[in-house]
Amino acid sequence: MLNDLLYRMRALFRRNVVETELNEEIRFHFDREVEKYKKQGMTDEEARRSARLAFGGDEQVKEDCREARGTGLIDTGVQDLRYAQRQLWSNPSFAVVIILTMALSIGANSAIFSVISSVLIKSLPYPEPEKIVRVFLTSNIYPKFPLNPFDFRDYRTHSKSFDSLAAFSRGDMQLSGGSTEPVRLHGFRITSGFFRVLGLHPQLGREFDVKVETPGNGLQVILSDRVWRSQFGAAPDIVGRKITLNAQPFTVVGVMPAGTEHPGNEYRSLAYGEDVDLWWPFTFEGDPTRRGAHYIEGIGRLKDGVTAEQAQSELSAIMTQIARDLGQGKSDWQVMVIPLYREVVGSSQRMLLVLLGAVGIVLLIACANAANLLLARAATRQREIAVRLALGASRSRLVRQLLTESLLIALAGGALGLGMAAGGVKALVSLLPADFPRAHEIHVSAPVFAFTFLVSAATGILFGLIPAIQASRIDPRQGLHEGGRTSTGTGRLSRLRNALVVSEVSLACVLLIGAGLMLRSLLNLIHLDPGFREEHVLTASVSLPGAEYKTEAVVGRFYDTLTTNLASIPGVEAAGAGSDLPWTGYDDNTSLNIEGKQAPPHDEFHARYHVATPDYFRALGIPLLRGRFFTAGDKPGTQRVVIINHAMAQKYWPGEDVVGKRVTWDDHPKETDWFRIVGVVGDVKDKPSSADTEPAFWWADLQQPFTSTDMSLVVRSTADPQTLAEAVRNEVRRLDPALAVADVAWMDEIVYGSVATPRFAFVLVGMFAGLAILLAAIGTYGVISYSVSQRTPEFGLRMALGAQRLDVIRLVLAQAAGLVLTGTVLGLLLALTLARVLKNLIYEVSPADPLTFGAVGLMVIAIAVLACYIPARKATKADPMIALRAE
Amino acid sequence: MELQRIDLPQGTVDLLILRTLSAGPQHGWAISERVQQVSSDVLRIQQGSLYPALHRLERRGLIKARWGASDNNRRAKYYELTRAGQKQLEVETDSWLKLTAAVAQILENV
Repeated sequence: MLNDLLYRMRALFRRNVVETELNEEIRFHFDREVEKYKKQGMTDEEARRSARLAFGGDEQVKEDCREARGTGLIDTGVQDLRYAQRQLWSNPSFAVVIILTMALSIGANSAIFSVISSVLIKSLPYPEPEKIVRVFLTSNIYPKFPLNPFDFRDYRTHSKSFDSLAAFSRGDMQLSGGSTEPVRLHGFRITSGFFRVLGLHPQLGREFDVKVETPGNGLQVILSDRVWRSQFGAAPDIVGRKITLNAQPFTVVGVMPAGTEHPGNEYRSLAYGEDVDLWWPFTFEGDPTRRGAHYIEGIGRLKDGVTAEQAQSELSAIMTQIARDLGQGKSDWQVMVIPLYREVVGSSQRMLLVLLGAVGIVLLIACANAANLLLARAATRQREIAVRLALGASRSRLVRQLLTESLLIALAGGALGLGMAAGGVKALVSLLPADFPRAHEIHVSAPVFAFTFLVSAATGILFGLIPAIQASRIDPRQGLHEGGRTSTGTGRLSRLRNALVVSEVSLACVLLIGAGLMLRSLLNLIHLDPGFREEHVLTASVSLPGAEYKTEAVVGRFYDTLTTNLASIPGVEAAGAGSDLPWTGYDDNTSLNIEGKQAPPHDEFHARYHVATPDYFRALGIPLLRGRFFTAGDKPGTQRVVIINHAMAQKYWPGEDVVGKRVTWDDHPKETDWFRIVGVVGDVKDKPSSADTEPAFWWADLQQPFTSTDMSLVVRSTADPQTLAEAVRNEVRRLDPALAVADVAWMDEIVYGSVATPRFAFVLVGMFAGLAILLAAIGTYGVISYSVSQRTPEFGLRMALGAQRLDVIRLVLAQAAGLVLTGTVLGLLLALTLARVLKNLIYEVSPADPLTFGAVGLMVIAIAVLACYIPARKATKADPMIALRAE
Repeated sequence: MELQRIDLPQGTVDLLILRTLSAGPQHGWAISERVQQVSSDVLRIQQGSLYPALHRLERRGLIKARWGASDNNRRAKYYELTRAGQKQLEVETDSWLKLTAAVAQILENV
């Protein structure tokens, strides 16, 4: 076997040497033969003649030797390749059209596959990532809810399913005394074992141990590689050093290596791939029997052989036990354990698969198109093929030769497409929504090369096989007989081409309908009233270090002064501060008691809570429906007040006037624990992707039951954006030079970004649909113009007999309409079944939306008929005399 | 008198080459001469089948080639039997003898 291989390799790669040797060997034989004859008494000339006769054709011998060397297949392959190349050169416009369409569609496939390969296929950047799971609570009202710290600690103590179980919570920090002025750093508070769960190890120092979880021990920090380098010049002695975070001394205990990726979080999330700058310990503070507060997220590494379901039922059992121990009744809360992979990519998976399906359809159309072009050319090559068959070419050799040509086209298209994909992927990533998982990992990688090559080869065979087999079926006698003008035998051929056009049109229909549905959904989302007015609103966030801003009064005074100062900037209409901004992932919920009302069992009164300064609503443009906004008079010591949203008023006081009603967060309220509702504001959509609004209320900044050191600023102004942002920074710096202003953004940017996902899906599917209908139009045009050229004598005859131009046009268009209508009807039916996969991706549009279906149907027919108009006009130019003479 | 020559079936050429080479390394021309001579001019391997057969046998590893000087001092390609070729020769000789014996038996007795 090995010998065989080596021999063939030598024969193949050292062809020249081997050929010279063969020549020499044959020459030697010949000379010996001549010598022999001369010895028998012949003259030199006679001897040579006899030797040549005895030898036979030496070229034939050599050819047989080459065959025997086992390189025959490759030799003919090379021949086929040269032949194919000549064929393509001889008709460059054909080659350009067909290679370009293949390049476009293969390139689109490679680009989408790059995204899929990096996001869905490539495993998460942790060792044994399939063992990592996320732990949430779930109930009917809240599908995904964070954990209570003490609940978490009990899970960790009692559970046996995990190698390691940890929790984390967003906690940004302000670093001062680094190499730059104060900066806000993305931080997470983590329990011990967090990095063990991820399977990552610090490059310097160590991870937190359990001791730091005790209150008072938490002044430790682990830095990211980036912060270590940018703020501390990669100091090798960083471990053990004290740094100032939120005005407190933290000891650096470790530095994580570069590429330490955040596993993503549900609650106050950080964009995927955005760097976490530091991690600091989560400390368990407060009374362990009070478990109402839920704000940490669980993450765990399963033991070998334990499934997520098993872990989930174990934790649920522990949860029931905790409730019993604490003497609580049954609740409808349950523990939910989800594999990390599903948590990270789950939401984007379907969209990506839909996109892959869409480009796949484009590729199919391109194949049909290429097959069609090749069939059309095969018709003109019938004579040549007939000659070759008559001269003894084998059909299989012929098929191989034609396939080589289509493979060459496809591979050229693939190579070109790969180049397009490299550019396209960059564009794709820039189009991606900011919260798209793993977007930073997307690039054209080795699997993409392999994918492109395989797809190119497969398409080459797919679109080449039918025309090749078709061509090899030509009967040489007929092909020669008819001298190139063919009419019989083309019946089958034109049926095949018609079928291809019909399928092109119907597939293009499917894509157009997909794009149409997505467009309608996108328009619906854009036209949804967000509940606020986003124009001319600047937002930013400020975080006050708790060490310096200790009391509610100090914090309150700071934001009060800041908003007053901001409002005095020229051009500013209103300036406020609030616990959060719309659509930033904030969803802190609380249960509450309503005066004079009893909640139904298992469905306690609940609402989303926020904090706002008096001008917060005005600055965001949230309308007041009843009562009043907060005023400077809503301060400690006066009647405590709240503002609720319309949804809350509707849900808990249907048909009542709510202004003046009272609510409390205490189960056994004293008179002072009651809050009076002073106003009702309009609903702000909870999420940009739906019209839903959950009940929500706002505490007045100065009366809130706890201290909010972190607030978002909202400034409505007609001033120049750049100077306004600078003015806001100045105002903050004037109050406290140690503070950093972070997350400066315009509200309209946030709104624009909020529909990034549906826009992304629409833009892509729309582009694919455009490409699809273009290809289908080319296909239709090709078939009709070929048929027109075939029927030219007929048209000429008709016109000679008095037919009008319009009659001829009608004849051609009727033929086209038959194909196009069939294609459209099939396409609409196909779309009706396929559109169902879009169900979760489109908003407020039925997958069978009659408007979209109707519009697409008409559009496809119009475009296709337009494509046929040019050949139809040509038909009317048929000269009766020429046509008749040709017959 | 014109000698009657027999056309050789393909497999036989291989067998004859292997057998001829079992006497020692030879170049192509000598192999064909030798076969013709030993068979008293009855069998003759056409050059058209000799060289392809040699190349095929070489590919299969039954013979190997090297360049050497011929008796008249020219560079010639010499073929010699490999171990695998030796074995192949035994097997093929054996089956050839069986085949011819069986065919002869039928021809004589039926």
